[in-house]
Amino acid sequence: MNSRAWLMLYLTAVIAITFVHHVPTLALVLFAALALAGKRRWQIARRTLLAMLAFNLTVSLGYAAIALWQGNFHSGYLLLVNVRVFLLLYLGFWFVAAVDLLSALSGMPLLRLVATLSIGQIKTFERILNDFGLAFRSRNLARPRLLDKAHHAASQAQNLLDKSVASANETALAMRSRGAFDD
Amino acid sequence: MHIPDGFLSPQTYLPAYAVAAGAWTWAAKGLRDHLDETTVPRLAVLTALAYALGLIMVPIPGGTSGHALGIAILALVFGIRQAFLAYSLVLLLQSLLFGAGGITALAVNALAMGLLGSAAAVAARRLFRPLGETVSVAAAAWLSVLVSGLAVALVLGIQPLVAHSADGTPQFFPFGLSITLPAILVPHAIIGIGEAVLTVLVWRYAKARHWVVE
Repeated sequence: MNSRAWLMLYLTAVIAITFVHHVPTLALVLFAALALAGKRRWQIARRTLLAMLAFNLTVSLGYAAIALWQGNFHSGYLLLVNVRVFLLLYLGFWFVAAVDLLSALSGMPLLRLVATLSIGQIKTFERILNDFGLAFRSRNLARPRLLDKAHHAASQAQNLLDKSVASANETALAMRSRGAFDD
Repeated sequence: MHIPDGFLSPQTYLPAYAVAAGAWTWAAKGLRDHLDETTVPRLAVLTALAYALGLIMVPIPGGTSGHALGIAILALVFGIRQAFLAYSLVLLLQSLLFGAGGITALAVNALAMGLLGSAAAVAARRLFRPLGETVSVAAAAWLSVLVSGLAVALVLGIQPLVAHSADGTPQFFPFGLSITLPAILVPHAIIGIGEAVLTVLVWRYAKARHWVVE
């Protein structure tokens, strides 16, 4: 199956899951997804758990507190919403891990073009921020104060933008030389 | 203020996708004419900036998150259409790479933050222009956050009404408008101040490099 077909399958599964309100069925689908994901299943499951933990904990605790106070607490609701969110996120991470996103967007050239550039920029940002962070740490023998961190961030912000503009310009010129803006 | 996956009913997100599809088509119209080797790098940089800002988020009790958007600067430099498209891409990448937001909530998040946020920013900039550049840009950023937050709060708050079982148990998001409106709007009124400061700084950067044509 090609990337486009996987994308369609993933989207269909996501929509179908939101129509199911039966916890055992959702759990069964989740077990099937875990079984089919192969060796990386626990790595994806851990990532899923970390991604959903803060939000779902906030909503779940908030719901429990309010519903108990109002006397209409349903534990089934908490189970349903948490299993559903876990399943949807798990499928998303599994899809990204298994399928090349840019090739899945092959039928949408403009989206693919902007996505390529933006992902490139995101990587540039990550690299520059990492470099700045390492340089900052190497200049501080003791743990820097919050104020020092703020000064560092402010002084590096413009440099960060300039560097990333220069990098994006290089990419755009390379794209121009390959005719990306000609059609 | 991303709405996470799994908290919106199909009765909400499917019509939202229909509306968003129309909006994306409108926004993409003529996009090729505006994209060249000068504008594309700027768009990519500000898109990446919006992406980075959106990832620094804290969960807030209303069931969503608090974070800066970066939509106002995109809208003020590139206009509503390109800002909406770029921000939709940001949301797609955030949801797929970090699980922030989600595929089912993508259309609602894109319409709330990308379209309404950028429209609010551009309208506020025009409205407050007589008060000076700094004030009008800051107001544009603050209002973009508030308007987006209002839309998100409204969509989340109607979930218990549109999707519940026979005994009244919610099937998706559990809190009504009386909780979502204050829970989302109050923190975002404060976050909006930070967004305003940041937007003014990036606006000055963009203006100094002649990115802004007014």
